[in-house]
Amino acid sequence: MHLLIQAIILGILTGGLYALMTSGLTLTFGTMRIINMAQGVFVVCGAYIAFTLFNYLHIDPFLSILVSTPLLFAIGFTLQTFLLKPIRHDAHRLSLLMTWAMAIGLEGILSFIFGTDFRGILTSYQNSSWTIAGYEIPVVRALAFLLSVAILVGMFLLLTRTKFGRSVRAVSQRESAAKLLGVNTDRTAALAFGLGAATAGAAGAMFGLVSSFDPASHYDLIGRLLAICVIGGLGSNAGAIAGAVILALSESLVQAEFSPAWSSVPFYVLLIIVLIARPRGLFGVRTRGAI
Amino acid sequence: MLSTGTRLRSWILAIGLCAGVAACGTPAPTSSSNAPKGPLTIGISVSLTGDFSNTGKAAQLGYQLWASQVNAKGGILGRQVQLTFADDASSPTQVVTNYQNFISRDKVDLVFGPYSSLLTLAAAKVANRYGYAFVEGAGNGPSVFAAHLPNLIDAGPATAINGAQVWGDYILSLPADQRPKTAAYPSLDDPFSQPAAAALQARFEAAGIKTVYSQTYPAETTSLGGVIAKVASASPDMVVSGSQDADGWAQVQAMIQQKFNPKFLFMTNGPENPVDFPKNVGAQNTQGIFTSDVWTYGAPIPGNSAFVQAYVAKFGGDPSQIDSTSAQTYAVGQLIEAVAAKTGKIDNQTIIATLHQGSYQTVVGIVSVDQYGAPKGSQFLEEWIGGKLTIVYPPSIAEQAPVIPKPTWP
Repeated sequence: MHLLIQAIILGILTGGLYALMTSGLTLTFGTMRIINMAQGVFVVCGAYIAFTLFNYLHIDPFLSILVSTPLLFAIGFTLQTFLLKPIRHDAHRLSLLMTWAMAIGLEGILSFIFGTDFRGILTSYQNSSWTIAGYEIPVVRALAFLLSVAILVGMFLLLTRTKFGRSVRAVSQRESAAKLLGVNTDRTAALAFGLGAATAGAAGAMFGLVSSFDPASHYDLIGRLLAICVIGGLGSNAGAIAGAVILALSESLVQAEFSPAWSSVPFYVLLIIVLIARPRGLFGVRTRGAI
Repeated sequence: MLSTGTRLRSWILAIGLCAGVAACGTPAPTSSSNAPKGPLTIGISVSLTGDFSNTGKAAQLGYQLWASQVNAKGGILGRQVQLTFADDASSPTQVVTNYQNFISRDKVDLVFGPYSSLLTLAAAKVANRYGYAFVEGAGNGPSVFAAHLPNLIDAGPATAINGAQVWGDYILSLPADQRPKTAAYPSLDDPFSQPAAAALQARFEAAGIKTVYSQTYPAETTSLGGVIAKVASASPDMVVSGSQDADGWAQVQAMIQQKFNPKFLFMTNGPENPVDFPKNVGAQNTQGIFTSDVWTYGAPIPGNSAFVQAYVAKFGGDPSQIDSTSAQTYAVGQLIEAVAAKTGKIDNQTIIATLHQGSYQTVVGIVSVDQYGAPKGSQFLEEWIGGKLTIVYPPSIAEQAPVIPKPTWP
């Protein structure tokens, strides 16, 4: 029982971070109907920003989020404006290829600047843990979970209580109608893409604390993030959270209770079941085709 | 319908074309002794990116140091050595492509091995198909030698299994009341790490040390918290980790976070890297962790001190920061020099025939291999003591006695 609860704790803490990484992917799909294959490399960019600030300026990675978030927002907004916007309406299907090209390009830039060795961010509290009721709570994972929840709540409030949020939801539901109502849909999409990159930047700083990384780490990440999106429902934030927690919990439980060799299997079996039985995902909504 | 004459001409043309293609096909291994004088070209795939990138770069440095030294002495049989590197991204698929290109496109004279057993096996098969010798210094997992490739020579001096056995030698040399009673074996699914840990498990079980955990995790596992939670719940006296670098660091971090401190901790890979291991787990957390290796900068091996001086002169840094992989790949070059000195030839067939007999002194010790290229020697045991990797066993070469049990994490 002790092992089971310990595994659940680790799974939930990890799930929070995955949820933050995936929220940007969900936001991008909701507004632009494109799957951003560069979301994983945005996370890695955030990790490298935190690594650089920590090693050269001794800025704590959690504080470095104040830098990585606006920086990744700017990068995302710029990439969307110059690379995705031109093909957004006329060659929508190319956007998958374009975002993949962005991912490869950014990986190359990171490799050139930082090299290809595995890096880690080793703070003084890196390996510390709190002992609560006999269970070990790694400090970095707990703080990453709490901060992820805070940012997700902030995003929820942004999307539900602000004019920008209403624009985003309007574009997500029916772009043509939103345009008729005076929403600048192109600008909204660009801002949403930037926001998605910004959340990845924030998640990246925490990712760098819990895992070693190199420029190619985005390959492992993007597969997981896409799977989470599909299970949770593309375009659904609640789905992203649910999918992330399901992934992390299943991996942690199977790893601890059965065998690490099978830790990914239950989640991907669920992915197949969802694709067959409920393709829109657990929390996704049915979308109507174009008239 | 074609006339008989036309059909006959077509057949002759087709046979002629096939013969022409066959003649242009598989290149025969270059016989350097008959080739025109020119540089001795050597193709080497190294892991500059991917999972093995940290150690892959060390492999490249060892090769580069050897080439610069041998060229300064006039080259091999009067020919300047010219190394050509390609990045395999730690991928078995890419490493095959690289060696295919070296041999059939670039037509190099020789090829040297990559880093890791995973990549060595895939690459050695390519070289074997073309009759190239495959001398390598960083691929000694059992699967490499189980392939029974006649062209392979490991500049060992020990196989992965035999190398890790020094840990078994040490533990079983302890008085019974000091030995661990229980053991856990968390291993990476890797052709070097997992067999080494499994061989130790079999030996320890035969000696009465009870196994309380034994699992293999996939290479793409990003978090080992669940694995270590399960290990910790079993409270083993000893943990034998079949690890490489990144997962080895992750294991140590997870042990610290879960406040699990075994009395004995041996890792097949990870702790042998004098720079990256303390950097990634924390220098203060290295105390008491064991590993096995073939080389350390202070090892009393003929030629080692000259190697260390030359390395520092060329690449800078402190001797304690030299990765043993650099010494292993340097030894590959030393074997080639030995063949040239012994036979006066440097073609692939001569290399294969010569190195499968006799023994040769290198900076990693005496190298002697069996008919499948497996080295016959052993490794020594190292322990992190006071922030320094220290040879602690066998007693004949130990810098100091091992410090046991492992202290609690600071």
